[in-house]
Amino acid sequence: MRIIDATGPIDDLWPRIGAGEPLPEAGRALVERDRLGEALASGLELGLHLPPDTEPADIEPHFGRLAMISVGFPSFADGRGFSIGRSLRQRGFLGRLRASGPVIADQFAYLLECGFDEVAIPEEVARRQPPESWLSQSAAITFGYQRGIAGRGSILDQRRARHD
Amino acid sequence: MAKAFKPQVVTANDLIEGDSVFLARSGWVRDIAEARVARTAEEADLLLEAGVVAEAENTVVGPYLVEVGLETGAPVPLLRRERIRAEGGPTFAYAPEGIARAA
Amino acid sequence: MYRYDEFDAAFVAERTQQFRTQVKRRLAGELTEAEFKPLRLMNGVYLQLHAYMLRIAIPYGTLRPDQMRMLAHIAERWDRGYGHFTTRQNIQFNWPKLKDVPDILDALASVEMHAIQTSGNCIRNTTSDPYAGVAPEEIEDPRITAELIRQWSSLHPEFTFLGRKFKIAVTGSEHDRAAIKIHDIGIQIVRGPDGAPGYRVLVGGGLGRSPFIAKELRGFLPKADLLPYLEAALRVYNLHGRRDNKYKARIKILVHELGIEEYARQVEAEFARMDRAAVAAPAEEVARIAAYFALPELPARDTEADAAETRRMAAMEPEFAAWLEQNTAPHRVPGYRAVTVSLKPIGGAPGDATAEQMRVMADVAEHHSAGELRITHEQNVVLPHVAEGALFKVWRALRAEGLDTANKGLVTDIIACPGLDYCALATARSIPVAQDIANRFAEPRRQREIGPLSIKISGCINACGHHHVGHIGILGIDKAGVESYQITLGGDATETASLGDRTGPGFGYDEVPGVIERVVDTYIALREPGETFLAAYRRLGMAPFKEALYADH
Ligand code: SF4
Repeated sequence: MRIIDATGPIDDLWPRIGAGEPLPEAGRALVERDRLGEALASGLELGLHLPPDTEPADIEPHFGRLAMISVGFPSFADGRGFSIGRSLRQRGFLGRLRASGPVIADQFAYLLECGFDEVAIPEEVARRQPPESWLSQSAAITFGYQRGIAGRGSILDQRRARHD
Repeated sequence: MAKAFKPQVVTANDLIEGDSVFLARSGWVRDIAEARVARTAEEADLLLEAGVVAEAENTVVGPYLVEVGLETGAPVPLLRRERIRAEGGPTFAYAPEGIARAA
Repeated sequence: MYRYDEFDAAFVAERTQQFRTQVKRRLAGELTEAEFKPLRLMNGVYLQLHAYMLRIAIPYGTLRPDQMRMLAHIAERWDRGYGHFTTRQNIQFNWPKLKDVPDILDALASVEMHAIQTSGNCIRNTTSDPYAGVAPEEIEDPRITAELIRQWSSLHPEFTFLGRKFKIAVTGSEHDRAAIKIHDIGIQIVRGPDGAPGYRVLVGGGLGRSPFIAKELRGFLPKADLLPYLEAALRVYNLHGRRDNKYKARIKILVHELGIEEYARQVEAEFARMDRAAVAAPAEEVARIAAYFALPELPARDTEADAAETRRMAAMEPEFAAWLEQNTAPHRVPGYRAVTVSLKPIGGAPGDATAEQMRVMADVAEHHSAGELRITHEQNVVLPHVAEGALFKVWRALRAEGLDTANKGLVTDIIACPGLDYCALATARSIPVAQDIANRFAEPRRQREIGPLSIKISGCINACGHHHVGHIGILGIDKAGVESYQITLGGDATETASLGDRTGPGFGYDEVPGVIERVVDTYIALREPGETFLAAYRRLGMAPFKEALYADH
């Protein structure tokens, strides 16, 4: 697993707790959805991993306790996570947002625009797609047409600014 | 009863050009007449494997086996789809000559 | 017509450059075929039976002469001298090489065209009425809305990896020439309670394996809410549409499984929750787009002299008279007509045009149609603004290139998908079937006697030829290695949309023209004066046709 954000490769700061593994005493932990109750009761700095069939509204009550959310992408072609990410942001989640799974460099711009901060990709993808590709692909398109999108200028707003 | 083995050739599309190609002794060719014919299941497995390797090497896309008849000497696919594909174009006169003729 | 500003131009240029890089990375092995495939599809590149295929977007079917000439140039330089106009108002080239595609995209960009999202599991080219801005009864030009949707849906970060393709169509007229009821989302411009135009939104239409007619999602949506409402509708689909089965992944299945009430409830909840103002297009932007679609200035004509001249020529040239009658339609400006250029010569491949024909259409449009062309859902071309006094000249120019077939809406104006002659997914041929049927009904007088009749042919269950909504639909399947054709009757793609009914067991390839002839003869024998095929079928039902087809089987 490799972590890449908009600056390039970074360290993984979020130890993922496997099924049946005990929660650590202190520090950070990335837990599965089914351990959320237990994790909330702990004093840990929490990350939560969500499967792609998650209803974003269900997570909203816990935003205050979550420093990080990881959204699962079972394959790069399964785009439910884009809506989950954008929906979490629109609902006010301000923590770190990660896309986990075999997403590809060509999707990095879309992920950032949907509010993700980083990707966690399998070694196999990282081997073929060097960090330079992630960075260059994320900058391939300067302006998009949509409005209300994270971190990217909107052509519609640019036009308006020009006419003002 | 196991299906009787029918002779087969391996086909794919050329990655860069897109044309249908067939695996021959000398590599990938456009003309099915030059294709290598597998006459046993083991030979067919080997041929397909060569196709899969070529795909991994980014030469061709989507290799698969095609059953052929050998009555005329050269391999002729048994399925209509594969015959049309091996012909390299539509079954009717197409453009511009075909369109001009109809018009 | 819409013109790119510097932002549109930069966007398309960057996208083309990006694809050039993607091709390089694919050839270098950085991208696997599985990863590259959705990327190339989103740039219109398919791998078909014989070769790659490039589908180019013609947004809402509107083209300028210089754009049509560029298509001709591409056909000659990088393809085999022709192109194929599709039922979604696009054009496809059947023989490009992958290595040439970035150059083709550059050439397109130079005339403000692209191939973005003409395929793939994303929001596709938004289609519209070929008579947009021309039809006398229209409430508002639907292309303003379609262009807004084109921009909003281009590389939408949230909706570029949907469960399946997503098609939107817009009509501004009550009479639906855009087939909105068989689209994932269909939009009809209607007048609201206060008389201001807004939208009626339909959802969940589509053909394929499980055909559905769209259901009403919202009776009236204020215009300003369009984009937020679409985002809400797409988000509910993207989150909840099925991902486990490709054939159940379209929104029509979600709407069917949830029920329209529940789907609508979720969309309305999402729409109510979201920051609509942050997503909506600013009013200035809508006005900016609208200005491009103002009716072009059409010189005032001496309409009486024009009409007299046209009548005189029609009296001398019966073929011109027939074409005038069949292939021209009313225009909102008196003295003008909208001309349909048929791409259905008897025995030809429906929707195909040579580079030379494209150039002739471009020239005629430049001189006689205010520089505008339209591609229709029926795979024909429309010259929307032809002065009545120029009709004879236009007809003669078209005739010189074999573009004067007077069969719009008649039995030989057949829609056919590429089928087994080109398509990797096909189970049977469809173009040669269309050719055989057209040859059988070649006689012009007989065609006119039969009257309006749409035959639609698909080469597999994916239904790209829209057979379910043909008055007569033909579906080619594979039956133990033999092509077999199922016939449906009574389909309709307009505002009175309906799915056709199967007649019974299928027929062999050679039987099809005879079968169609028996259906038509049955109709002729039983119709009441002035009754169309569709009306007659709706009155008579299947029984007499079944009898005619299977009695001696
Ligand atoms: S209907 Fe089937 S055969 Fe025809 S173009 Fe579509 S996928 Fe191909």
